[in-house]
Amino acid sequence: MARTGNKNIQAKLVLLGDMGTGKTSLVLRFVTGKFLEYQESTIGAAFFTQVLSLNEATIKFDIWDTAGQERYHSLAPMYYRGAAAAVVVYDITSMESFVRAKKWVQELQRQANPTLIMFLAGNKADLEEKRKVGFEEGEQYAKENGLVFLETSAKTAQNVNELFYEIAKKLAKASPSRPTGIKLHSRSQQNSRRMFCCS
Amino acid sequence: MSSESRASSSGDEASEPNPNPIPKPPEDQLAALALSETDSHANGVVHGSAGENNHNHQEIESDEEEVEANSAAPGLAEVEESREGLPRGSVGGVVWARTNSELEVDGPSSPSSSGYAGERGSSSASSGGSGIDEISEVRNEEVVDGFSDLQASWVPGKRHVDEDDASLSWRKRKKHFFILSNSGKPIYSRHGDEHKLAGFSATLQAIISFVENGGDHVKLVRAGKHQVVFLVKGPIYLVCISCTEEPYESLRMQLELIYGQMLLILTKSVNRCFEKNPKFDMTPLLGGTDIVFSSLIHSFSWNPATFLHAYTCLPLAYATRQAAGAILQDVADSGVLFAILMCKHKVISLVGAQKASLHPDDMLLLSNFVMASESFRTSESFSPICLPRYNPMAFLYAYVHYLDADTYLMLLTTSSDAFYHLKDCRIRIEMVLLKSSVLSEIQRSMIDGGMRVEELPLDPLPRSASFSPHLGQHTLSTDSPDRFREPYIGVGGPAGLWHFIYRSIFLDQYVSSEFSPPISSPRQQKRLYRAYQKLYASMHDRGIGPHKTQFRRDENYVLLCWVTQDFELYAAFDPLADKALAIKTCNRVCQWVKDVENEIFLLGASPFSW
Repeated sequence: MARTGNKNIQAKLVLLGDMGTGKTSLVLRFVTGKFLEYQESTIGAAFFTQVLSLNEATIKFDIWDTAGQERYHSLAPMYYRGAAAAVVVYDITSMESFVRAKKWVQELQRQANPTLIMFLAGNKADLEEKRKVGFEEGEQYAKENGLVFLETSAKTAQNVNELFYEIAKKLAKASPSRPTGIKLHSRSQQNSRRMFCCS
Repeated sequence: MSSESRASSSGDEASEPNPNPIPKPPEDQLAALALSETDSHANGVVHGSAGENNHNHQEIESDEEEVEANSAAPGLAEVEESREGLPRGSVGGVVWARTNSELEVDGPSSPSSSGYAGERGSSSASSGGSGIDEISEVRNEEVVDGFSDLQASWVPGKRHVDEDDASLSWRKRKKHFFILSNSGKPIYSRHGDEHKLAGFSATLQAIISFVENGGDHVKLVRAGKHQVVFLVKGPIYLVCISCTEEPYESLRMQLELIYGQMLLILTKSVNRCFEKNPKFDMTPLLGGTDIVFSSLIHSFSWNPATFLHAYTCLPLAYATRQAAGAILQDVADSGVLFAILMCKHKVISLVGAQKASLHPDDMLLLSNFVMASESFRTSESFSPICLPRYNPMAFLYAYVHYLDADTYLMLLTTSSDAFYHLKDCRIRIEMVLLKSSVLSEIQRSMIDGGMRVEELPLDPLPRSASFSPHLGQHTLSTDSPDRFREPYIGVGGPAGLWHFIYRSIFLDQYVSSEFSPPISSPRQQKRLYRAYQKLYASMHDRGIGPHKTQFRRDENYVLLCWVTQDFELYAAFDPLADKALAIKTCNRVCQWVKDVENEIFLLGASPFSW
């Protein structure tokens, strides 16, 4: 891990959102480059790792792809605790999922790590004809709450890599330029989990 | 349904383990040894302890017989009630109580009012029924439900979502399972869309609460060929409607397992939702789990673990299994509650923390959950699960990872923070398994299969020689893998032995021989499975059992069951098999199992005490 040169950052990233919004599809598109038309529901949470190299840093993502089902809602803190970044995903063809996304944002604002970098992703952007949530609506909400907003499509890969690059860039910027390979346990209150955030 | 009713008048007599004192085929009587009384009762006893009410009971049965014979009277349902002598029943008294309510219940409970069986008379002639999988009952054969859901051709996931209780096809399904809340809200239905079945659910709820209001519990309603089995679990009601002729006890156990599967996903704390809001809609909580339930229900027709309450192991050389057990033990010592390595539904090895014991039913439910959920194959997962027999109130956390297409590791812990630790454990385990070539042995065992009746050793051989070539690991090296690809043309093993299941009571494990001709088609396998299931139920019947041996001959098989303190043996023979020879063969099977027990069972690997 301790390579010389640019920074190595290990960052925990969590995806939250209603079921069927395409969280797993986004991650799989990013990690494997593939898309499945029928993606089975995630159980609990699935764990992925992926490394992204930027000019300024190498980011190793620990990605928690959580299940959107209601029954797992109360367990979400277990996954977002200590996360450096979160992507809240909704489905642009479902107003319900947008409402749920706002609830996730509120919960994260209240309970998550205060330095958490939050992204809002309006997924399924390829289904323009079925759109229920306008681009401006998402953008507006994101602006008000200090989120980075993107509309994505796991199916066409639109904005998927951009999403993760943006996250990586933000993380690189946020992380202090210390000597390489040192992990910060800035707030190791309840967990000894790896986390990295600006302090 | 109407078609069945018509068939029943003639088909009934011949259908094998007949509940009632109908004259048996002569050779059956000749053959019946020791326990012929089992036959006469086999089914009749399902509904609780007969006791002094036997007389009443008989009457009821003959009543019903009449109904079936005439098969005319629609909606002639019989309600059997008792004070719920079942373990979890609310009342202790096991007395078989029949109250007047029965008569009144007759009306409302008649499925006709809700549309379920109401069509018995009128849904004329199964109208083509071309595309419908499970309609026609074959005369003289056990009802075998649905080709479409045989193991081989089974399509996962919910089927027939478009149906509801108004669909003819829906009503013709041979086996329905429902979960509903005590306010009548549908929670799960095997066939059809739950939401469209709200009215039907309400009817089921009405039946249950009607009887409960009388201070009673409804366990079983018979309506012609249909059995409606009820299971009440606090605010959750489970109902099975079946015309598969499976014994009541089996159907009730299946409902128990479905309930267990629900607890595995949600824990019993879901009850609190109903305390807060009786009209609570539970369906969203189970979102995306249809496939878990349908896969469990499917296993009721092929997996002996569902009625034996035992698990089975992948055959492996003793040393190989020991190697796997050692590394799992290592991990368990580091704070993992259970470490389980499985290949499909077979256990490779499992280890628990001290004093922690794992019930075979929990293993069945857990492995079903993992195998049914495609999501676990995509990546490593960390998911809350509840083991209902271990602690129905609390979640454990399961780290699940597939090591290859069929082999998966499950590490269970009580700590929600343990993911990274468990991940490290898995990496260690995987490395050891690869190095010690356990994984390749597993794959080889998958190809080779288990015990085959054709390989039954001829005589009690002087031991330590190699018995079954492929079950002695030492001989494996000389075997070419394609040895087993040669088609078996034989007709089973010696003395007409077709198949057997051996269950070790002490180990809570069973071993089942591979299916070989003539039990080769999925349909035949399912029929044999059902026959075993019936045999099991009759041997363990609390009213008239338990029994030690049973010999039963019908047009399909000779079935022989032998229960001792140490084991249970279920064997199926050619229907023309000689009785004395069959008994002798069973002794040889038992000897064979003992000879290879090191390889087919997980022995004393861990401090388990279930």
